[in-house]
Amino acid sequence: MEGTMATDISVIGLFSDEQKTAAVIEDMSGYPWQIDRVHSPFPSHKIFDALKLKKSPVGWFTLVGGILGFFTGFGLAIYTALEWKLIVWGKPIVAWIPFVIVGFECTILFSVFANVLGLIVLGNLPDYKGLEKYDTRCSADHFGIVVSCEEEEQEQVLEFFKNNGGEARVFE
Amino acid sequence: MSESPQLTYGEIDRTVLDTLRPPTGGYWLVIMVLILGVLLGAACWVYQIFVGIGAGGQNIPVAWGTYLINFVFWVGIANSGTLISAILYLFRAGWRNPIARAAETMTVFAVSIAGLFPFIHLGRIWIVYYMLPYPNQRYLWPNFQSPLVFDVVAISTYLTVSSLFWYTGLIPDLAAVRDKATGVRKKIFTILSLGWTGKHEQWRHYTRGYLFFAALATPLVVSVHSVVSWDFALSVVPGWHSTIFAPYFVAGAIHSGLAMVLTLMIPLRKIFRYERILTMKILEAVAKTIIFTGLIVGYAYAVEYFLAWYSHNAVEMEAFRWRALGDYSLEFWIMVGCNSLVPLLFFFKRIRTSIPWLLGISILINVGMWYERFVIIVGSVAHGFIPHAWGLYRPSAIEFGIMLGAFSLFLLFFLLFLKHLPSISMTEMKETLDHGGDHGD
Repeated sequence: MEGTMATDISVIGLFSDEQKTAAVIEDMSGYPWQIDRVHSPFPSHKIFDALKLKKSPVGWFTLVGGILGFFTGFGLAIYTALEWKLIVWGKPIVAWIPFVIVGFECTILFSVFANVLGLIVLGNLPDYKGLEKYDTRCSADHFGIVVSCEEEEQEQVLEFFKNNGGEARVFE
Repeated sequence: MSESPQLTYGEIDRTVLDTLRPPTGGYWLVIMVLILGVLLGAACWVYQIFVGIGAGGQNIPVAWGTYLINFVFWVGIANSGTLISAILYLFRAGWRNPIARAAETMTVFAVSIAGLFPFIHLGRIWIVYYMLPYPNQRYLWPNFQSPLVFDVVAISTYLTVSSLFWYTGLIPDLAAVRDKATGVRKKIFTILSLGWTGKHEQWRHYTRGYLFFAALATPLVVSVHSVVSWDFALSVVPGWHSTIFAPYFVAGAIHSGLAMVLTLMIPLRKIFRYERILTMKILEAVAKTIIFTGLIVGYAYAVEYFLAWYSHNAVEMEAFRWRALGDYSLEFWIMVGCNSLVPLLFFFKRIRTSIPWLLGISILINVGMWYERFVIIVGSVAHGFIPHAWGLYRPSAIEFGIMLGAFSLFLLFFLLFLKHLPSISMTEMKETLDHGGDHGD
């Protein structure tokens, strides 16, 4: 499902109903064509289930960022306190309690940076090339199933989408 | 709402994208007035830089006046945006969706305005870099044990995180605008939307990432106003040195932010004809939440008095007696009335479903919350430990000018946003329809 076949033929089937789109995806499992991608105007869990998608690993990026941020925040506060040992308010030079604030804020900050990085890397963004084979109705009110197939199967795919109540066309 | 037909995906797009059409002359007139307000504020600040910080009315003992009041006020406004977008997202509260985008935008602009005030209050703005942890020959670093440095860390983190959260949420909608746009506008939105096509792989990572964003922003929003409260609570000043301050400030921040959401969204609803998206049920849900936060704030006011009495500390007792009966008693009663008593009117359905009442009460809460910060910040140091050190404070014309500039700048940013970016999340609205229709529930 993830990879494309060694062919340039891409056919898109457009549907106006989410439930129908999910049903068509499930029906396609009996055919030899590969679903290249499914476009939708919002995240659809019905489509995710039909495609049997696994959970995104973006959380690992977030976790690594958080751990780095935690140590960076505490490390910065401790290092700078040790650089110039000035006693403030009678507290120890390395005062853990106030440093929790710096550690906490840096944990959140670095987690968020890593989260964004994860979204960019895993989501393959920016992806301006992806706009070449894309139907603009998919950001509005349509769901698009893009299928890669052999040239001789093209008519069969178009027929399949139309028979299921969709609109179909071939990307040039 | 229930009688009107269900919204469709296309109708949501049409309603929201219609708001991005070229504005009328009236819009530009308001923009011009706001620019004048910003210029006035900037001129006052420049004057203060040349003349000195004494151009403001702040002096001993009240060294923190409107600059700090406005700082806390705007951070408070900013807090609620993240509450609505992140916390209510985690709780799957459907009524957040039509107001989340405007609330997030409000957050980004409000925290930027808040961040200006410490700079203004510094006086010698050119040495602001002392606050940054950079290696230098003198081995001098910011003191990470100081609540003022906590503030620098917390506010800058909050600004960064809320901006990224806002932009990430915007990406699918920017793609929707791109797909309807032509010419240069299309090119700009193509770049801004990062070539988003809404394919399943993008959504798979996006939904997970957005969930983590919300989960991280939630503790951050609580921490930010707690840190702001510690600017006061970690001192020994009577009226400030209290353990209740962090939750008290967080509740107050949410209270003021929700009120500001109503103040901004009600005119928006009328002007952009958002009635079908921003239903009365949603405004009612905000009003009900305001009752809850108003009760918490009222409880905090009462507990402060209880703690002062229970401590048997003469200075603390006197500080609180003076708050209610002294020179700033008018400000105190405005605070109590607007923040704790007026919101109770929302218990009446007739009032919380009436647009003029909703707008009027939300404005009163904004006024009350500004005065709350006045009472806390000015009232405590003006009447401290010894009568010899007591003194009163009134803001100077320069401070009023800067305050006017700040409000103008906020509204200017917000109005520019309204005509250039989608003010309601089309993606989330469509998702809400998909999950069962009535987004007001």
